[in-house]
Amino acid sequence: MNNSSLRPRAEVAPLLIAVVLAVFLLFVGGAAHIVILSLLLSYILDPVATVLEARGMSRTLATVIIMLGLGSLIVVGSVVLIPAIFEHLQTLQSGSTTAQAAAAINDLERFARDKFSFLGFGDINLGERIGELRQQVGERAIAFLFSDAASLIINAVTIPFMMFFFIKDGREMKKRVVSMVPNRYFEFTLDLLSKMDMQLGNYLRGQFLDAVIFGAMAVVALWILGVNYFVFLGVFAGLANLIPYVGAIAGVVPAALVAVLGSGNLSAAVPVIIAYVVLKMLDDFVVQPFAVASSVHMHPVLVLIAIMVGGELFGILGMLLAVPVAGFFKVVLQEGVSTYRKYRFT
Amino acid sequence: MTDFRARVFGYKRASQANANAFAVLEKIPIFQDLSRRELASIERILHRREYVPDEVIIRQDEPGLGMYIIEAGKAAVLSEPDKVRLSDLTDGDFFGEVSLLAESPRSATVAATTHCRVLGFFQSDLFSLIERDPRLGVKIVVRVAKIIGDRLRKANQQLLSVSDELRRTRQGTHPA
Repeated sequence: MNNSSLRPRAEVAPLLIAVVLAVFLLFVGGAAHIVILSLLLSYILDPVATVLEARGMSRTLATVIIMLGLGSLIVVGSVVLIPAIFEHLQTLQSGSTTAQAAAAINDLERFARDKFSFLGFGDINLGERIGELRQQVGERAIAFLFSDAASLIINAVTIPFMMFFFIKDGREMKKRVVSMVPNRYFEFTLDLLSKMDMQLGNYLRGQFLDAVIFGAMAVVALWILGVNYFVFLGVFAGLANLIPYVGAIAGVVPAALVAVLGSGNLSAAVPVIIAYVVLKMLDDFVVQPFAVASSVHMHPVLVLIAIMVGGELFGILGMLLAVPVAGFFKVVLQEGVSTYRKYRFT
Repeated sequence: MTDFRARVFGYKRASQANANAFAVLEKIPIFQDLSRRELASIERILHRREYVPDEVIIRQDEPGLGMYIIEAGKAAVLSEPDKVRLSDLTDGDFFGEVSLLAESPRSATVAATTHCRVLGFFQSDLFSLIERDPRLGVKIVVRVAKIIGDRLRKANQQLLSVSDELRRTRQGTHPA
């Protein structure tokens, strides 16, 4: 009755998964972020397909409607945003400095010389540095947009293509994977997958919703305060908010800088910072308790390591995806161990 | 062309295996009187597994995730730790249906006695079915509840008759 000798040992399974993942990330690194992003987006949108199915639609029709909706959003966003992005980047690259910005830079220089001369800021030339920096940023951003236009287009096609099949056939794919598991570990695998699905689904959808709400609130707040580039800065703040601890600071710094350079007055940073503090409090006490049904508590050191590894592997996108992906592995490990203990594997 | 359409639009032509599963499902009280479309929805979420003789299908005290239906073959219900044989199961028999509604530890071990083909129907799949097809999901839940209710009623009757017998035996042993 005992067939355990014929089955792969449970201890080997996590190792095998780790090896496969490592090989996948190392050798197919270029494609991995596309797959991860497609999977995450499909996972977030899956309940929409289920709601449409409950209204009598087939899964295929529900998926088509979701993809059409997403496509419309992308097209409208591109038509509105791309010309604006180019315009902003060209302004940035041309190096034209307004009188207000020059005044703000002078203020900053004086402040640094007076207060921080002991740190070597006595002979600082902030205007020249900022000029060089924005020239570099503008050049690099335009070069990136042109040189990577092909890969951007490929991503814009492959991600929705993968998403379509992940949403439409996700259940069938999961069933096929489970069908390959040996009988002894079949129920364990099913149990683990359903628990992970519940925990991760709530976590990822909650994070996504929170990022969207925070981003929208930031856009509105910056618009009211009259800060330039309020759409980009707000969207960036929403995305940065996905990163615990450092996300809030990463969101506020560029907005405060733009406000100072735009008005030529250091005090212009104050309302921006106050607005972000208020938004963060609203987010922590009002939005998150409603939007984020379950959180995956992670140690700050683990978060930092995940962000560094994500950044190293996939750049800024990797940094944004690092926390959800680390959360995924944490849930897999936690649920894997607790579910494993309920089964009498020998 | 049909194959292409089936691949793109995701519907399947009824294969021999599907037809067998339909025939088995129609005999199970939980799925009786369901339409062809509803049976197809159920069939899509079932997990097909095969077991060799003496291989354990479910183990006593391990978490119960759902029910199994024997499509073909024979199995035995065993009580641990002595593996006392409680009953035999054959084509069309099902077990573990209580786990569809409540995740509770398995009350006995079931092991295949011949080569066995089974269909697994699990709680997570039932809950997902309820979300996307509430009408069918509720039908299934009501039928499972009815089966459990019938079993409870039978168990109560058996308990009553055993306690009556016990009382009569006591009265016989210790006459008033």
